[in-house]
Amino acid sequence: MSRKEYIRIVNARMGYKKPGHTVDILHRVNLSFYAGDLVGIVGLNGVGKSTLLRSICGLLPLLEGEVVIEGREIRELSIEDLARKIAVVLTEKIGGFNLTLFDVVAAGQIPYTDSFHRLTNENRSIINSAIDRCGIKSFTEKPVTELSDGLFQKTMIAKALAQQTPILLFDEPSAFLDYASKHDLFSLLQELTHKEGKCVVVSSHELEILLKYCTKLLVISPNGVELISREEARQNAAFIQLTGGFL
Amino acid sequence: MKQSNLIRFLILIALFLIGCFLSLMYGGSETISWHSLNSGNFIFREIRFPKTITAIVAGSTLSVAGLILQIIFRNPLAGPYVLGISSGASLMVALGILAGNSVFLVSDLFIGKTFLVLSAITGSLLVTFLILLVSKKVNSNIVLLLIGLMFSQICGAIQTSLEYFSDPTSLKSFVVWGMGSLANTTGSDLLIYVPVALGSMLALVFFMKPLNALLLGQAYAQGVGINFNTNRFYLILISSVLTGVTTAFCGPIAFVGIAVPILSRMIFSTSHQQVHFFSSMILGAIILLFSDTLCHSVVVGVSLPINMITTFIGAPLVIYLMFKNKHW
Repeated sequence: MSRKEYIRIVNARMGYKKPGHTVDILHRVNLSFYAGDLVGIVGLNGVGKSTLLRSICGLLPLLEGEVVIEGREIRELSIEDLARKIAVVLTEKIGGFNLTLFDVVAAGQIPYTDSFHRLTNENRSIINSAIDRCGIKSFTEKPVTELSDGLFQKTMIAKALAQQTPILLFDEPSAFLDYASKHDLFSLLQELTHKEGKCVVVSSHELEILLKYCTKLLVISPNGVELISREEARQNAAFIQLTGGFL
Repeated sequence: MKQSNLIRFLILIALFLIGCFLSLMYGGSETISWHSLNSGNFIFREIRFPKTITAIVAGSTLSVAGLILQIIFRNPLAGPYVLGISSGASLMVALGILAGNSVFLVSDLFIGKTFLVLSAITGSLLVTFLILLVSKKVNSNIVLLLIGLMFSQICGAIQTSLEYFSDPTSLKSFVVWGMGSLANTTGSDLLIYVPVALGSMLALVFFMKPLNALLLGQAYAQGVGINFNTNRFYLILISSVLTGVTTAFCGPIAFVGIAVPILSRMIFSTSHQQVHFFSSMILGAIILLFSDTLCHSVVVGVSLPINMITTFIGAPLVIYLMFKNKHW
Protein backbone atom coordinates (compact mmCIF):
# COMPACT_ATOMS: atom_id res chain seq x y z
CA MET A 1 0.00 0.00 0.00
CA SER A 2 1.57 3.27 -1.02
CA ARG A 3 0.16 6.28 0.72
CA LYS A 4 1.27 9.84 0.31
CA GLU A 5 4.07 10.90 2.63
CA TYR A 6 3.00 14.08 4.42
CA ILE A 7 5.74 14.62 6.97
CA ARG A 8 9.34 13.43 6.83
CA ILE A 9 11.84 14.26 9.54
CA VAL A 10 15.48 13.64 8.65
CA ASN A 11 18.33 13.52 11.16
CA ALA A 12 16.73 16.20 13.25
CA ARG A 13 18.08 17.62 16.45
CA MET A 14 15.36 19.51 18.31
CA GLY A 15 15.52 21.86 21.25
CA TYR A 16 15.76 25.49 22.26
CA LYS A 17 18.37 28.13 21.62
CA LYS A 18 19.26 30.12 24.69
CA PRO A 19 21.79 32.96 24.71
CA GLY A 20 25.20 31.28 24.70
CA HIS A 21 24.05 27.68 24.56
CA THR A 22 21.40 25.34 23.21
CA VAL A 23 19.11 23.05 25.16
CA ASP A 24 18.97 19.75 23.29
CA ILE A 25 15.82 17.76 23.80
CA LEU A 26 15.59 15.23 20.98
CA HIS A 27 18.46 13.80 18.90
CA ARG A 28 18.74 12.00 15.56
CA VAL A 29 15.01 11.95 14.92
CA ASN A 30 14.08 10.14 11.70
CA LEU A 31 10.37 9.72 11.10
CA SER A 32 7.78 9.63 8.34
CA PHE A 33 4.06 10.19 8.67
CA TYR A 34 1.61 9.37 5.89
CA ALA A 35 -1.89 10.25 4.78
CA GLY A 36 -4.34 8.31 6.92
CA ASP A 37 -2.00 8.07 9.88
CA LEU A 38 -3.39 8.71 13.32
CA VAL A 39 -0.27 8.90 15.44
CA GLY A 40 -0.34 9.12 19.22
CA ILE A 41 2.72 10.60 20.90
CA VAL A 42 3.35 9.18 24.35
CA GLY A 43 6.04 9.89 26.89
CA LEU A 44 6.62 11.19 30.38
CA ASN A 45 6.25 14.88 31.23
CA GLY A 46 9.10 16.95 29.90
CA VAL A 47 10.44 14.26 27.58
CA GLY A 48 9.88 16.37 24.47
CA LYS A 49 6.35 15.76 23.14
CA SER A 50 5.56 19.45 22.72
CA THR A 51 9.06 20.14 21.38
CA LEU A 52 8.49 17.58 18.64
CA LEU A 53 5.09 19.02 17.71
CA ARG A 54 6.37 22.60 17.72
CA SER A 55 9.33 21.59 15.57
CA ILE A 56 7.14 19.87 12.99
CA CYS A 57 4.94 22.92 12.51
CA GLY A 58 7.84 25.35 12.30
CA LEU A 59 7.17 27.22 15.55
CA LEU A 60 10.49 25.95 16.87
CA PRO A 61 13.37 26.03 14.36
CA LEU A 62 15.37 22.81 14.17
CA LEU A 63 18.88 22.84 15.58
CA GLU A 64 19.96 20.38 12.88
CA GLY A 65 18.43 18.27 10.14
CA GLU A 66 15.27 18.92 8.21
CA VAL A 67 11.50 18.63 8.26
CA VAL A 68 9.91 17.95 4.88
CA ILE A 69 6.20 18.72 4.47
CA GLU A 70 4.58 17.17 1.39
CA GLY A 71 7.93 17.00 -0.38
CA ARG A 72 9.15 20.48 0.47
CA GLU A 73 11.60 21.49 3.16
CA ILE A 74 9.81 23.54 5.81
CA ARG A 75 12.16 26.52 5.47
CA GLU A 76 11.32 26.78 1.76
CA LEU A 77 7.63 27.17 2.56
CA SER A 78 6.21 30.60 3.25
CA ILE A 79 4.38 31.03 6.53
CA GLU A 80 1.10 31.36 4.59
CA ASP A 81 1.71 28.11 2.68
CA LEU A 82 2.54 26.34 5.91
CA ALA A 83 -0.74 27.57 7.44
CA ARG A 84 -2.61 25.86 4.59
CA LYS A 85 -0.79 22.56 5.24
CA ILE A 86 -0.57 22.29 9.02
CA ALA A 87 -3.06 23.26 11.70
CA VAL A 88 -1.94 23.10 15.28
CA VAL A 89 -3.64 23.09 18.67
CA LEU A 90 -1.40 23.93 21.60
CA THR A 91 -1.98 24.05 25.33
CA GLU A 92 -1.91 27.86 25.38
CA LYS A 93 -4.96 29.81 26.59
CA ILE A 94 -6.29 32.76 24.65
CA GLY A 95 -9.21 35.11 25.16
CA GLY A 96 -10.40 38.58 26.04
CA PHE A 97 -10.90 41.47 23.62
CA ASN A 98 -14.52 40.41 22.97
CA LEU A 99 -13.34 37.22 21.23
CA THR A 100 -16.25 34.82 20.89
CA LEU A 101 -16.11 31.12 20.16
CA PHE A 102 -17.09 31.90 16.57
CA ASP A 103 -14.28 34.47 16.21
CA VAL A 104 -11.67 31.97 17.36
CA VAL A 105 -12.89 29.24 15.02
CA ALA A 106 -13.09 31.86 12.25
CA ALA A 107 -9.39 32.53 12.79
CA GLY A 108 -8.84 29.12 11.23
CA GLN A 109 -9.96 30.65 7.94
CA ILE A 110 -7.41 33.50 8.12
CA PRO A 111 -5.19 31.86 5.46
CA TYR A 112 -8.12 32.04 3.03
CA THR A 113 -9.74 35.44 3.70
CA ASP A 114 -9.03 38.88 2.20
CA SER A 115 -6.76 41.44 3.84
CA PHE A 116 -9.53 42.64 6.17
CA HIS A 117 -10.44 39.08 7.20
CA ARG A 118 -13.97 39.59 5.86
CA LEU A 119 -15.89 36.33 5.76
CA THR A 120 -17.67 35.22 2.62
CA ASN A 121 -20.61 32.81 2.75
CA GLU A 122 -18.24 29.99 1.86
CA ASN A 123 -15.92 30.91 4.74
CA ARG A 124 -18.91 30.98 7.07
CA SER A 125 -20.21 27.58 6.07
CA ILE A 126 -16.75 26.03 6.60
CA ILE A 127 -16.51 27.66 10.05
CA ASN A 128 -20.02 26.57 11.01
CA SER A 129 -19.48 22.99 9.93
CA ALA A 130 -16.25 22.86 11.98
CA ILE A 131 -18.22 24.14 14.98
CA ASP A 132 -20.92 21.52 14.29
CA ARG A 133 -18.46 18.65 14.10
CA CYS A 134 -17.05 19.54 17.51
CA GLY A 135 -20.53 19.69 19.03
CA ILE A 136 -20.27 23.25 20.35
CA LYS A 137 -22.91 24.93 18.21
CA SER A 138 -24.99 26.20 21.12
CA PHE A 139 -22.05 28.24 22.46
CA THR A 140 -21.19 29.97 19.18
CA GLU A 141 -21.67 33.55 20.39
CA LYS A 142 -20.19 33.03 23.85
CA PRO A 143 -17.00 34.93 24.79
CA VAL A 144 -14.14 32.42 24.99
CA THR A 145 -13.18 33.64 28.46
CA GLU A 146 -16.54 32.37 29.71
CA LEU A 147 -16.08 28.88 28.27
CA SER A 148 -15.10 25.96 30.47
CA ASP A 149 -11.67 24.41 29.86
CA GLY A 150 -13.22 21.53 27.99
CA LEU A 151 -15.33 23.75 25.74
CA PHE A 152 -12.30 25.94 25.10
CA GLN A 153 -10.36 22.91 23.99
CA LYS A 154 -13.14 21.90 21.62
CA THR A 155 -13.12 25.46 20.27
CA MET A 156 -9.44 25.22 19.45
CA ILE A 157 -10.00 21.85 17.80
CA ALA A 158 -12.76 23.41 15.69
CA LYS A 159 -10.34 26.21 14.76
CA ALA A 160 -7.86 23.61 13.54
CA LEU A 161 -10.59 21.88 11.49
CA ALA A 162 -11.62 25.22 9.99
CA GLN A 163 -8.07 25.63 8.76
CA GLN A 164 -8.75 22.81 6.24
CA THR A 165 -5.24 21.42 6.31
CA PRO A 166 -4.09 17.91 5.35
CA ILE A 167 -2.00 17.75 8.54
CA LEU A 168 -3.28 18.37 12.06
CA LEU A 169 -1.15 18.50 15.19
CA PHE A 170 -2.66 18.39 18.68
CA ASP A 171 -0.82 18.91 21.95
CA GLU A 172 -2.78 17.14 24.69
CA PRO A 173 -6.21 17.98 23.27
CA SER A 174 -8.06 15.66 25.62
CA ALA A 175 -6.60 17.00 28.86
CA PHE A 176 -9.74 18.82 30.06
CA LEU A 177 -12.40 16.79 28.28
CA ASP A 178 -14.94 14.61 30.04
CA TYR A 179 -14.96 10.87 29.40
CA ALA A 180 -17.52 10.93 26.60
CA SER A 181 -15.93 13.94 24.93
CA LYS A 182 -12.55 12.24 24.89
CA HIS A 183 -14.05 9.40 22.91
CA ASP A 184 -15.96 11.82 20.70
CA LEU A 185 -12.74 13.65 19.96
CA PHE A 186 -10.80 10.54 19.03
CA SER A 187 -13.69 9.21 16.92
CA LEU A 188 -13.58 12.51 15.09
CA LEU A 189 -9.83 12.23 14.60
CA GLN A 190 -10.31 8.68 13.34
CA GLU A 191 -12.89 9.93 10.86
CA LEU A 192 -10.48 12.62 9.66
CA THR A 193 -7.69 10.15 9.04
CA HIS A 194 -9.61 7.09 7.82
CA LYS A 195 -12.29 8.77 5.73
CA GLU A 196 -10.65 12.02 4.66
CA GLY A 197 -7.07 10.79 4.47
CA LYS A 198 -5.65 13.48 6.72
CA CYS A 199 -2.56 12.96 8.83
CA VAL A 200 -3.13 13.57 12.54
CA VAL A 201 -0.44 13.61 15.19
CA VAL A 202 -1.66 13.89 18.74
CA SER A 203 0.14 13.87 22.07
CA SER A 204 -1.72 12.55 25.07
CA HIS A 205 -1.36 10.77 28.38
CA GLU A 206 -4.52 8.69 27.81
CA LEU A 207 -2.76 5.46 26.86
CA GLU A 208 -5.92 3.35 26.74
CA ILE A 209 -7.63 5.74 24.36
CA LEU A 210 -4.56 5.99 22.16
CA LEU A 211 -4.33 2.19 22.00
CA LYS A 212 -7.97 2.03 20.97
CA TYR A 213 -7.95 4.66 18.22
CA CYS A 214 -4.43 5.37 16.94
CA THR A 215 -2.88 3.50 14.01
CA LYS A 216 0.62 4.16 15.28
CA LEU A 217 2.27 5.17 18.51
CA LEU A 218 5.33 7.35 18.82
CA VAL A 219 7.04 6.47 22.08
CA ILE A 220 9.45 9.12 23.35
CA SER A 221 11.78 8.03 26.12
CA PRO A 222 15.17 9.26 27.28
CA ASN A 223 16.65 6.60 24.97
CA GLY A 224 15.11 8.19 21.91
CA VAL A 225 12.10 8.14 19.66
CA GLU A 226 10.40 4.95 18.48
CA LEU A 227 7.51 4.69 16.04
CA ILE A 228 5.56 1.46 16.56
CA SER A 229 2.26 0.06 15.40
CA ARG A 230 -0.61 -0.36 17.84
CA GLU A 231 -0.11 -4.13 17.86
CA GLU A 232 3.56 -3.83 18.83
CA ALA A 233 2.80 -1.61 21.80
CA ARG A 234 2.32 -4.35 24.35
CA GLN A 235 5.69 -5.86 23.53
CA ASN A 236 7.54 -2.55 23.48
CA ALA A 237 9.77 -2.05 26.52
CA ALA A 238 9.54 1.75 26.52
CA PHE A 239 5.76 1.67 26.21
CA ILE A 240 5.38 -0.91 28.96
CA GLN A 241 7.51 1.25 31.21
CA LEU A 242 5.16 4.19 30.53
CA THR A 243 2.14 2.20 31.60
CA GLY A 244 3.81 1.47 34.91
CA GLY A 245 2.46 -2.05 34.57
CA PHE A 246 -1.11 -0.89 35.09
CA LEU A 247 -2.36 -1.44 31.56
CA MET B 1 -22.01 45.54 9.60
CA LYS B 2 -24.80 44.75 12.02
CA GLN B 3 -27.57 47.32 12.11
CA SER B 4 -27.19 48.01 15.82
CA ASN B 5 -23.51 48.79 15.23
CA LEU B 6 -24.42 51.12 12.40
CA ILE B 7 -26.72 53.06 14.71
CA ARG B 8 -23.97 53.26 17.32
CA PHE B 9 -21.59 54.64 14.70
CA LEU B 10 -24.15 57.23 13.64
CA ILE B 11 -24.55 58.34 17.24
CA LEU B 12 -20.77 58.63 17.56
CA ILE B 13 -20.60 60.73 14.41
CA ALA B 14 -23.37 62.98 15.74
CA LEU B 15 -21.49 63.39 19.04
CA PHE B 16 -18.35 64.13 17.07
CA LEU B 17 -20.07 66.94 15.16
CA ILE B 18 -21.53 68.38 18.38
CA GLY B 19 -18.05 68.21 19.92
CA CYS B 20 -16.57 70.07 16.96
CA PHE B 21 -19.22 72.76 17.26
CA LEU B 22 -18.77 73.19 21.02
CA SER B 23 -15.00 73.29 20.81
CA LEU B 24 -15.09 75.83 17.97
CA MET B 25 -17.66 78.11 19.56
CA TYR B 26 -17.09 77.75 23.30
CA GLY B 27 -13.58 76.33 23.56
CA GLY B 28 -11.97 79.52 24.78
CA SER B 29 -12.39 82.61 26.91
CA GLU B 30 -14.58 84.20 24.28
CA THR B 31 -17.77 82.78 22.82
CA ILE B 32 -17.84 83.26 19.11
CA SER B 33 -21.08 84.51 17.62
CA TRP B 34 -22.43 83.46 14.26
CA HIS B 35 -22.40 87.06 13.18
CA SER B 36 -18.68 87.54 13.67
CA LEU B 37 -17.94 84.30 11.80
CA ASN B 38 -19.20 85.76 8.55
CA SER B 39 -16.96 88.77 8.81
CA GLY B 40 -13.86 86.58 9.20
CA ASN B 41 -13.18 86.26 12.92
CA PHE B 42 -9.45 86.32 13.73
CA ILE B 43 -9.76 84.23 16.90
CA PHE B 44 -11.75 81.64 15.03
CA ARG B 45 -9.33 81.35 12.15
CA GLU B 46 -6.02 81.54 13.95
CA ILE B 47 -6.76 80.01 17.34
CA ARG B 48 -10.04 78.10 17.60
CA PHE B 49 -9.86 76.28 14.28
CA PRO B 50 -6.27 74.92 14.73
CA LYS B 51 -7.13 73.92 18.30
CA THR B 52 -10.21 71.95 17.24
CA ILE B 53 -8.27 70.16 14.50
CA THR B 54 -5.54 69.41 17.05
CA ALA B 55 -8.10 67.96 19.47
CA ILE B 56 -9.44 65.67 16.73
CA VAL B 57 -6.02 64.51 15.57
CA ALA B 58 -4.57 64.12 19.08
CA GLY B 59 -7.58 62.18 20.32
CA SER B 60 -7.65 59.79 17.41
CA THR B 61 -3.87 59.20 17.21
CA LEU B 62 -3.50 58.45 20.93
CA SER B 63 -6.53 56.17 20.92
CA VAL B 64 -5.37 54.18 17.92
CA ALA B 65 -1.87 53.96 19.43
CA GLY B 66 -3.48 52.59 22.59
CA LEU B 67 -5.51 50.10 20.58
CA ILE B 68 -2.36 48.80 18.88
CA LEU B 69 -0.46 48.55 22.17
CA GLN B 70 -3.29 46.68 23.88
CA ILE B 71 -3.31 44.12 21.09
CA ILE B 72 0.47 43.76 20.84
CA PHE B 73 0.79 43.18 24.58
CA ARG B 74 -2.57 41.36 24.67
CA ASN B 75 -3.20 43.53 27.71
CA PRO B 76 -6.39 45.59 27.87
CA LEU B 77 -4.73 47.94 30.33
CA ALA B 78 -1.90 49.00 28.01
CA GLY B 79 -1.63 52.50 26.61
CA PRO B 80 0.98 55.03 25.57
CA TYR B 81 0.70 57.02 28.78
CA VAL B 82 0.55 54.24 31.37
CA LEU B 83 3.39 52.29 29.74
CA GLY B 84 5.64 55.35 29.90
CA ILE B 85 5.83 55.72 26.13
CA SER B 86 4.55 59.30 26.27
CA SER B 87 7.17 59.98 28.94
CA GLY B 88 9.86 58.61 26.65
CA ALA B 89 8.71 61.02 23.98
CA SER B 90 8.63 63.87 26.50
CA LEU B 91 12.13 63.11 27.67
CA MET B 92 13.49 63.32 24.16
CA VAL B 93 11.66 66.59 23.62
CA ALA B 94 13.06 67.84 26.94
CA LEU B 95 16.55 66.96 25.75
CA GLY B 96 15.83 68.95 22.61
CA ILE B 97 14.42 72.00 24.36
CA LEU B 98 16.41 72.13 27.56
CA ALA B 99 19.77 70.62 26.76
CA GLY B 100 19.80 72.47 23.48
CA ASN B 101 17.91 75.71 23.47
CA SER B 102 14.31 76.68 23.25
CA VAL B 103 14.39 77.41 19.54
CA PHE B 104 12.26 74.37 18.69
CA LEU B 105 9.21 75.35 20.63
CA VAL B 106 9.08 79.09 20.24
CA SER B 107 10.00 79.33 16.60
CA ASP B 108 7.86 78.29 13.72
CA LEU B 109 10.85 76.93 11.89
CA PHE B 110 9.91 73.90 9.86
CA ILE B 111 13.25 72.22 10.61
CA GLY B 112 12.88 72.90 14.30
CA LYS B 113 9.42 71.33 14.42
CA THR B 114 10.50 68.37 12.34
CA PHE B 115 13.38 67.81 14.71
CA LEU B 116 10.99 68.01 17.64
CA VAL B 117 8.67 65.47 16.06
CA LEU B 118 11.49 63.10 15.18
CA SER B 119 12.95 63.22 18.68
CA ALA B 120 9.53 62.52 20.22
CA ILE B 121 9.02 59.56 17.90
CA THR B 122 12.48 58.24 18.76
CA GLY B 123 11.68 58.54 22.45
CA SER B 124 8.44 56.62 22.16
CA LEU B 125 10.07 53.93 19.99
CA LEU B 126 12.88 53.45 22.51
CA VAL B 127 10.51 52.98 25.44
CA THR B 128 8.19 50.67 23.47
CA PHE B 129 11.06 48.37 22.55
CA LEU B 130 12.35 48.41 26.12
CA ILE B 131 8.92 47.40 27.38
CA LEU B 132 8.68 44.72 24.72
CA LEU B 133 12.02 43.34 25.90
CA VAL B 134 10.85 43.29 29.50
CA SER B 135 7.41 41.92 28.63
CA LYS B 136 9.03 38.68 27.44
CA LYS B 137 10.24 38.06 30.99
CA VAL B 138 6.96 38.76 32.76
CA ASN B 139 3.63 37.13 32.15
CA SER B 140 1.43 39.30 34.29
CA ASN B 141 -0.51 42.22 32.88
CA ILE B 142 -0.27 44.09 36.13
CA VAL B 143 3.50 43.67 36.47
CA LEU B 144 3.91 45.02 32.95
CA LEU B 145 1.86 48.04 33.94
CA LEU B 146 4.03 48.62 37.00
CA ILE B 147 7.15 48.38 34.87
CA GLY B 148 5.69 50.98 32.51
CA LEU B 149 5.06 53.17 35.54
CA MET B 150 8.70 52.77 36.58
CA PHE B 151 9.85 53.70 33.07
CA SER B 152 7.83 56.87 33.17
CA GLN B 153 9.24 57.64 36.65
CA ILE B 154 12.78 57.20 35.33
CA CYS B 155 12.10 59.39 32.32
CA GLY B 156 10.50 61.93 34.67
CA ALA B 157 13.53 61.92 36.98
CA ILE B 158 15.93 62.53 34.11
CA GLN B 159 13.64 65.29 32.91
CA THR B 160 13.55 66.94 36.34
CA SER B 161 17.32 66.96 36.56
CA LEU B 162 17.49 68.51 33.11
CA GLU B 163 15.00 71.16 34.18
CA TYR B 164 17.02 71.88 37.30
CA PHE B 165 20.04 72.88 35.26
CA SER B 166 18.25 74.80 32.53
CA ASP B 167 17.71 78.51 32.04
CA PRO B 168 14.39 80.08 33.06
CA THR B 169 12.99 80.74 29.59
CA SER B 170 13.38 77.23 28.25
CA LEU B 171 12.27 75.85 31.61
CA LYS B 172 8.98 77.71 31.42
CA SER B 173 8.30 76.73 27.83
CA PHE B 174 8.95 73.13 28.72
CA VAL B 175 6.88 73.05 31.90
CA VAL B 176 3.91 74.55 30.08
CA TRP B 177 4.34 72.04 27.28
CA GLY B 178 4.59 69.21 29.80
CA MET B 179 1.14 70.00 31.19
CA GLY B 180 -0.33 69.02 27.88
CA SER B 181 -2.16 71.52 25.76
CA LEU B 182 -4.07 71.56 22.53
CA ALA B 183 -3.66 75.30 22.12
CA ASN B 184 0.02 75.51 21.21
CA THR B 185 -0.38 74.06 17.75
CA THR B 186 -0.39 76.76 15.10
CA GLY B 187 -1.84 76.54 11.63
CA SER B 188 1.58 75.89 10.15
CA ASP B 189 2.25 73.10 12.71
CA LEU B 190 -0.81 71.37 11.40
CA LEU B 191 0.93 71.12 8.04
CA ILE B 192 3.33 68.65 9.64
CA TYR B 193 1.02 67.17 12.26
CA VAL B 194 -1.98 66.24 10.12
CA PRO B 195 -0.09 64.55 7.24
CA VAL B 196 2.08 62.48 9.61
CA ALA B 197 -0.97 61.38 11.62
CA LEU B 198 -3.06 60.63 8.54
CA GLY B 199 -0.20 58.77 6.88
CA SER B 200 0.31 56.47 9.87
CA MET B 201 -3.43 55.80 10.12
CA LEU B 202 -3.55 54.90 6.44
CA ALA B 203 -0.55 52.61 6.88
CA LEU B 204 -2.43 50.85 9.66
CA VAL B 205 -5.24 49.95 7.28
CA PHE B 206 -2.86 47.41 5.72
CA PHE B 207 -2.41 45.70 9.08
CA MET B 208 -6.04 44.91 9.90
CA LYS B 209 -5.68 41.18 9.36
CA PRO B 210 -2.48 40.89 11.41
CA LEU B 211 -4.13 42.95 14.18
CA ASN B 212 -6.98 40.45 14.28
CA ALA B 213 -4.58 37.51 14.25
CA LEU B 214 -2.30 38.95 16.94
CA LEU B 215 -5.20 38.63 19.38
CA LEU B 216 -4.53 34.88 19.27
CA GLY B 217 -0.99 35.27 20.57
CA GLN B 218 2.31 34.48 18.92
CA ALA B 219 2.00 30.73 18.36
CA TYR B 220 -1.54 30.72 16.98
CA ALA B 221 -0.95 33.83 14.85
CA GLN B 222 2.02 32.09 13.22
CA GLY B 223 -0.06 28.94 12.91
CA VAL B 224 -2.59 30.73 10.72
CA GLY B 225 0.11 32.23 8.54
CA ILE B 226 0.74 35.64 10.09
CA ASN B 227 4.38 36.53 10.60
CA PHE B 228 4.28 37.63 14.21
CA ASN B 229 7.62 39.41 14.61
CA THR B 230 7.48 41.35 11.34
CA ASN B 231 3.93 42.55 11.89
CA ARG B 232 4.58 43.41 15.50
CA PHE B 233 7.59 45.48 14.46
CA TYR B 234 5.60 47.56 11.98
CA LEU B 235 2.72 47.97 14.40
CA ILE B 236 5.07 49.23 17.11
CA LEU B 237 6.55 51.63 14.60
CA ILE B 238 3.12 52.98 13.71
CA SER B 239 1.99 53.33 17.31
CA SER B 240 5.25 55.08 18.21
CA VAL B 241 4.86 57.55 15.37
CA LEU B 242 1.26 58.22 16.44
CA THR B 243 2.21 58.74 20.08
CA GLY B 244 5.39 60.64 19.26
CA VAL B 245 3.88 63.14 16.86
CA THR B 246 1.03 63.98 19.20
CA THR B 247 3.31 64.28 22.21
CA ALA B 248 5.59 66.58 20.23
CA PHE B 249 2.79 69.04 19.53
CA CYS B 250 0.50 68.67 22.54
CA GLY B 251 2.73 67.36 25.31
CA PRO B 252 1.94 64.14 27.14
CA ILE B 253 -1.85 63.72 27.26
CA ALA B 254 -3.02 61.33 29.93
CA PHE B 255 -5.34 58.33 29.79
CA VAL B 256 -6.96 58.87 26.39
CA GLY B 257 -4.90 56.08 24.83
CA ILE B 258 -5.83 53.50 27.44
CA ALA B 259 -9.45 54.48 28.05
CA VAL B 260 -10.76 54.88 24.52
CA PRO B 261 -10.08 51.34 23.18
CA ILE B 262 -11.64 49.94 26.35
CA LEU B 263 -14.72 52.13 25.85
CA SER B 264 -14.81 51.06 22.23
CA ARG B 265 -14.91 47.40 23.23
CA MET B 266 -17.69 48.16 25.68
CA ILE B 267 -19.75 49.92 23.02
CA PHE B 268 -19.07 47.51 20.15
CA SER B 269 -19.09 43.93 21.38
CA THR B 270 -17.06 42.60 18.51
CA SER B 271 -13.49 41.39 18.16
CA HIS B 272 -13.11 42.81 14.66
CA GLN B 273 -10.31 45.31 14.96
CA GLN B 274 -11.36 47.33 11.93
CA VAL B 275 -14.49 48.32 13.87
CA HIS B 276 -12.42 49.30 16.90
CA PHE B 277 -9.97 51.15 14.70
CA PHE B 278 -12.66 53.47 13.38
CA SER B 279 -14.58 53.76 16.61
CA SER B 280 -11.39 54.50 18.60
CA MET B 281 -10.58 57.27 16.14
CA ILE B 282 -13.99 58.90 16.53
CA LEU B 283 -14.28 58.26 20.28
CA GLY B 284 -10.82 59.67 20.92
CA ALA B 285 -11.68 62.80 18.98
CA ILE B 286 -15.01 63.14 20.82
CA ILE B 287 -13.38 62.85 24.23
CA LEU B 288 -10.73 65.45 23.51
CA LEU B 289 -13.22 67.82 21.87
CA PHE B 290 -15.50 67.68 24.92
CA SER B 291 -12.53 67.83 27.32
CA ASP B 292 -11.31 70.92 25.51
CA THR B 293 -14.70 72.56 25.85
CA LEU B 294 -14.84 71.60 29.54
CA CYS B 295 -11.37 73.03 30.13
CA HIS B 296 -12.68 76.46 29.29
CA SER B 297 -16.10 76.29 30.86
CA VAL B 298 -15.61 74.75 34.33
CA VAL B 299 -14.09 77.92 35.77
CA VAL B 300 -15.14 81.08 33.98
CA GLY B 301 -12.26 82.97 32.45
CA VAL B 302 -9.68 80.29 33.25
CA SER B 303 -8.51 77.54 30.93
CA LEU B 304 -7.51 74.42 32.84
CA PRO B 305 -4.81 72.04 31.54
CA ILE B 306 -6.33 69.36 29.30
CA ASN B 307 -4.61 66.60 31.33
CA MET B 308 -6.71 67.49 34.34
CA ILE B 309 -9.92 66.67 32.51
CA THR B 310 -8.65 63.55 30.73
CA THR B 311 -7.27 62.17 33.99
CA PHE B 312 -10.59 62.77 35.74
CA ILE B 313 -12.31 60.76 33.01
CA GLY B 314 -9.64 58.12 32.38
CA ALA B 315 -8.23 57.18 35.77
CA PRO B 316 -11.57 56.24 37.42
CA LEU B 317 -12.46 54.23 34.32
CA VAL B 318 -9.23 52.23 34.58
CA ILE B 319 -9.76 51.62 38.31
CA TYR B 320 -13.34 50.53 37.65
CA LEU B 321 -12.17 48.11 34.98
CA MET B 322 -9.48 46.63 37.16
CA PHE B 323 -12.13 45.76 39.73
CA LYS B 324 -14.58 44.53 37.18
CA ASN B 325 -11.87 42.36 35.56
CA LYS B 326 -13.86 40.86 32.73
CA HIS B 327 -13.19 40.44 29.03
CA TRP B 328 -12.97 44.07 28.02
